[in-house]
Amino acid sequence: MAKISPTSTASPAGRHRAAGRALDHLFAALPALWLLGVFIIPLGFTVVFSFGRSSFGGIKLDFTLDNYAQALSGFYLDSFLRTIQFALSGCILCLLVAYPAALFIARQQGARRTALLVLVLVPYFTSFLIRVMSWQILLARGGPIEWLLNVTHLMPGPLDVLDTQTAVFIGLVYAYLPIAVVPIYIVLIRIPAGLIEASRDLGASAWQSFWHVTLPMSRPGLATAALLTGVPMLGELVIPALLGGDKGVLMGMAISQQYLATQKYALGSAMAVLVLLAVAVMVAVLVRLTRGFEEVSA
Amino acid sequence: MSAPSGAARRGGNLLLGLWYVLVVAFLFAPIVTSIVYSFNVGSLGKQTSTFTGWTLNWFADAWNNVSLRRAVQVSLTASFWSAIIAVMIGSSLGFALVRHPNPLVRRLLSGLTYILLIVPETVVGTSLLLFYSVTRFRLGMPTLVAGITPLAIAVTALIVRAGALTLDRRLEDAAADLGAGRWNTIWFVVLPHLAPAVLAGALMSYVFSFDNLVISSFLTTPSINTLPVYLYGSLQYGPSPAVYAAATSVFVFTIVLVGLAGLLYRLVLRRGRPRK
Repeated sequence: MAKISPTSTASPAGRHRAAGRALDHLFAALPALWLLGVFIIPLGFTVVFSFGRSSFGGIKLDFTLDNYAQALSGFYLDSFLRTIQFALSGCILCLLVAYPAALFIARQQGARRTALLVLVLVPYFTSFLIRVMSWQILLARGGPIEWLLNVTHLMPGPLDVLDTQTAVFIGLVYAYLPIAVVPIYIVLIRIPAGLIEASRDLGASAWQSFWHVTLPMSRPGLATAALLTGVPMLGELVIPALLGGDKGVLMGMAISQQYLATQKYALGSAMAVLVLLAVAVMVAVLVRLTRGFEEVSA
Repeated sequence: MSAPSGAARRGGNLLLGLWYVLVVAFLFAPIVTSIVYSFNVGSLGKQTSTFTGWTLNWFADAWNNVSLRRAVQVSLTASFWSAIIAVMIGSSLGFALVRHPNPLVRRLLSGLTYILLIVPETVVGTSLLLFYSVTRFRLGMPTLVAGITPLAIAVTALIVRAGALTLDRRLEDAAADLGAGRWNTIWFVVLPHLAPAVLAGALMSYVFSFDNLVISSFLTTPSINTLPVYLYGSLQYGPSPAVYAAATSVFVFTIVLVGLAGLLYRLVLRRGRPRK
């Protein structure tokens, strides 16, 4: 459709629009400036001071790679690699659990669909910390899950899950599941029903049409879900601390210790920058995977 | 469609439905647990994983705990201001994401919004601590509020953006053709249309800010301590069931708040409908 409204600045509407530009720029500048001050510049400080030196109770500007050498060796390297492995597996698990649930919600209609989606989001209205603490209760010896497994004869004897990697994965999937369901759901409801019907008319089985039509079409949703789950998992602090015991320190805990316990700010900054680099790599990979889908993901 | 494949599809849907039920059970298990265990007698004033009996005492205990109450107060204040800032800045960001005339600016802003969501909170928290310690800025309520706003801004921006995408551009053009300035167009045409999204954004920012633990834990001081940070600290000594009682009360309060917001949203929607 051709534009009806005139665009030349001579017309009244155009003049208004030119004056309106100022307001549009304000709407863009306001968040940009605020976030620059409370978010971007502090992150910049971390990058700059990752080349600095920790001094007694503080930090000094310098240009040294010592912090990176330390962060990429021995114990810290182990914890960096372990963190990446945890985030990747946690993210994949999360997507595997979220996808069928999102598919089920997307196949419903109207108010029922909304209600089913809202139900998945309810946990966000309760305290995150209390939910993780409740997993401690649920998974502990003598806790409800052990009782349930014993009563139903699914597993006799005590349950030894708390303070293991399994408990950390349960916690990670648990915490990030709702945020993984939403983007997958949004993409699924935008797949035209006619496309699925066409594939069925052409003789595809339900499974084939899922595998060749629905799944490839939901790639951008999966990528967004991976972004919103896997990337924050790289800095996860609370779940490994509460459910994993002190075994297998992850990057989030290691970084926070540099700040809150040993006050090695420079080393902590270098480790934080490494996490940011891992984030950047993950984002780059996901952006590549969804190339050509800008319209759908928008 | 042939009968067998219809049956297969129904079978598939049944499996998906079963999966969904399991997911919801998984999501609700800890919530139910935290509520039930806020009535747990416990042992020696500590929470126990084995349920030892029902009591209401922990609610009184939580209410009478001065430091707990102070923490709730700080959390309420901090998340209130964070929500106010997030609504103003997040709404304008969400609107700019859709309506800014320059596509490059839109792209940059959208990248910024995603960065807010994905930079791990630990990195944000430590960066802020470093920033304030180097610039010798004293930690307090303003630094805490400023620290928790980015996440709330991103959430509000995404919700408002979704609302702005459904906004018919011709409405704004019509208003401009009829002589309304940009400001009047936004105030009288755009804002009423976006009101439900803005309200939803305000609510989500409030809830997210109230619940923030990781960033806040780097920015709290002995006098400015939020509820999640206080609870996290209390874990070292083994939490008392009063902690669960406090969380249950906050949950009930939040649900009432969300219910009210939902009601408000419906009212706004009904009022807005004839104008469409």
